[in-house]
Amino acid sequence: MNADKHTPDPVVGRYRVIPILHEGAMAQTHTANATPAIQEASGLPGKLVADWHDRAIARLGELLKERRGLQVFMDTCTKCGACTDKCHYFLGTADPKNMPVARQDLIRSVYRRHFTLAGKLFPKLVGARDLDKPMLEDWYRYFHQCSECRRCTVFCPKGIDTSEVTMAGREILAAIGLGQQYSQEIIGKVNSVGNNLGMKKPALANVLESLEEDILDETGLAIRLPLDDATADMLVVTPSADFFAEPHVDGLIGMAKVLHAAGIHWTLSSEASEAANFALFTGQHDQMQAIALRISTAAQSLGVSRIVMGECGHAWRVAYSFMDTLVGGFDYLDPEHPRPEHICELSHELLQSGLITLDPSRNADKVVTFHDSCNVARGAGMGNIKGGQFTIPRALLRASVPQLVEMSSDTTHQKTFCCGGGGGLLTDDLMEVRVKGALPRAQALQAVVSSDKVTHLVAICAICKTQLSQVLPQHDLADVQVTSLHHLVGDALVL
Amino acid sequence: MFDTLVGIAFSLAWLWLVCGIAYRVSVWLGARSRFLIPLAPAPRSRVGVLGRLFLEVFTFRSLARANRTTWLASLAFHYGLLWTLVMHLRFAYEVLPIFIVPFIRFGIWATLALVTGLVILLLRRLLIDRMRYISSPSDYLHLVLLLCIALSGVLIKRVWPTNLFEVGEFFRGTFVLNWMPLPDHAGLIIHLSLVLILLFVFPISKLVHGVGVVFSPTFNQRDRS
Repeated sequence: MNADKHTPDPVVGRYRVIPILHEGAMAQTHTANATPAIQEASGLPGKLVADWHDRAIARLGELLKERRGLQVFMDTCTKCGACTDKCHYFLGTADPKNMPVARQDLIRSVYRRHFTLAGKLFPKLVGARDLDKPMLEDWYRYFHQCSECRRCTVFCPKGIDTSEVTMAGREILAAIGLGQQYSQEIIGKVNSVGNNLGMKKPALANVLESLEEDILDETGLAIRLPLDDATADMLVVTPSADFFAEPHVDGLIGMAKVLHAAGIHWTLSSEASEAANFALFTGQHDQMQAIALRISTAAQSLGVSRIVMGECGHAWRVAYSFMDTLVGGFDYLDPEHPRPEHICELSHELLQSGLITLDPSRNADKVVTFHDSCNVARGAGMGNIKGGQFTIPRALLRASVPQLVEMSSDTTHQKTFCCGGGGGLLTDDLMEVRVKGALPRAQALQAVVSSDKVTHLVAICAICKTQLSQVLPQHDLADVQVTSLHHLVGDALVL
Repeated sequence: MFDTLVGIAFSLAWLWLVCGIAYRVSVWLGARSRFLIPLAPAPRSRVGVLGRLFLEVFTFRSLARANRTTWLASLAFHYGLLWTLVMHLRFAYEVLPIFIVPFIRFGIWATLALVTGLVILLLRRLLIDRMRYISSPSDYLHLVLLLCIALSGVLIKRVWPTNLFEVGEFFRGTFVLNWMPLPDHAGLIIHLSLVLILLFVFPISKLVHGVGVVFSPTFNQRDRS
């Protein structure tokens, strides 16, 4: 690394440019409503119910009792404005309703009207509002312009987490018949087939076989990608994008190489062929539990003693922070590895104990920067040390590539910017939001491309990888390769 | 007669304040806290959590990350207010306790910090388009109310003095329902009326954030993995 080389600040960073408000800038955005069939498959009303107002208020009342965070966040916001210039969607769109506090206020104003003395008596004075049709439309629009990345929370002196508010908003919307097609369809596929793609076992087996052939051609080694191997010690659960999408699939191959080199007896599961849990995005706790349960059921029926999660941001948040609450403990796992582990944690451990060897010179043609994924950075941890989610992937990268360049510190680690496609927004009908929301990340990347000739952006999240490879070209960054961390680890691996 | 009414109002206000805050806290604690949602990286120990809460409550650490001007203005206002509240403890004692003396001695600086902080916070709210967009009338009025209380307080302390001993007698009375007369002083009545409004508003408005911040799960949960 060139420590002495001056890195110019990106526009976001020290010379931050805060847009002038453009009211209604993103008011035309509308992600498709879930079809009646999709809604009903999840036990939700097929279309907007006639008594939607009363049911929405009743559901809000229930959520306030079920989620302490939501109740506290409704009461403690002082409108101090600390968050107003922190959201990538606001910075990219200038729409004031994309300021985190304004997004929260879509619900908070209704909360004040129906659940507070001041709002019942003096609505105008305290900014209390009725839940009318235009407000309902704003809920649908702007709760689908939040990726639940929690960057605003980092700057909030009350610790208010907008993602909790967005989740509550989406949960209420789905409960009155206004689910989002993209997320609800995916949740349905996981429930019926086992993964977001709806890829059945024979198709999955075929894909894995052909990947094994590719690896054989490349390395001359019979490196396996086992499926439902009941003799395995370790279950690997990875996002289904890893089975077919670029650049994800190279990450899966890298993972297979690492596990092979370390002599680990592992398997994938057709029952739990999906790490992702989109019910986190929609705020539906019952669905989140059902999806999480697939993983622990598969682990127990396969009789494994370790669970390892692949490169997926929100899956890691669910596995790290929520699994215990959702599906009970992990007494069936090896007491040395009593909870799901991250693939980076595992590879790092193997590297440190000398079970694998990495040769960075094999990646000598690459200059790499690391994009911290929001759910890993702010929703989880890694490796039993505070901040492990930052140090462990970087340690692996440093061992795999000769040159790792950091983007502006305002855009990495805890302050990382979302890729712009997280939280259930990775759908074509939100492309404008996604391109604009990627602006802060693109600016920070542009700076290191200019200063250090960065060639590769590394991520450990399937959504980040898909989103950034699709939108970076729109920001004149088509030459930067978006790469899986384990692709580089696999390439550096001495087999 | 009028003085007695003011006295009763204050007695009720103390009750309202305590019960209001207790009720709000019971609403927070009554809500289920099922998931672990600390903002990562989160402390792994309980002591670490106390440290995090301490920094948030006493140094406004997250606000310092967000915006230096707001942070400094908030610090000036809140610490100025705290200092001023300690000064007002004099009214609880018949004989001035020694620990309050330095607070009174340098009270003018605290008042200055308090007022400057409030003015900056108000100007931000008025001048920045993002702040105007997110502000309701009550957001301005809270600041104006605090400002008026501070200015009327300065007035009766420094410009148009009143009998502080009688004020003390009056307040000690409000806690034991023994309503005493107030000095005949219009400035004092204005100051006290505004304070009554503040005491009434506190538990039913955003002003409870002072209590609420420690109940925020993103701050008070630890990384238990």
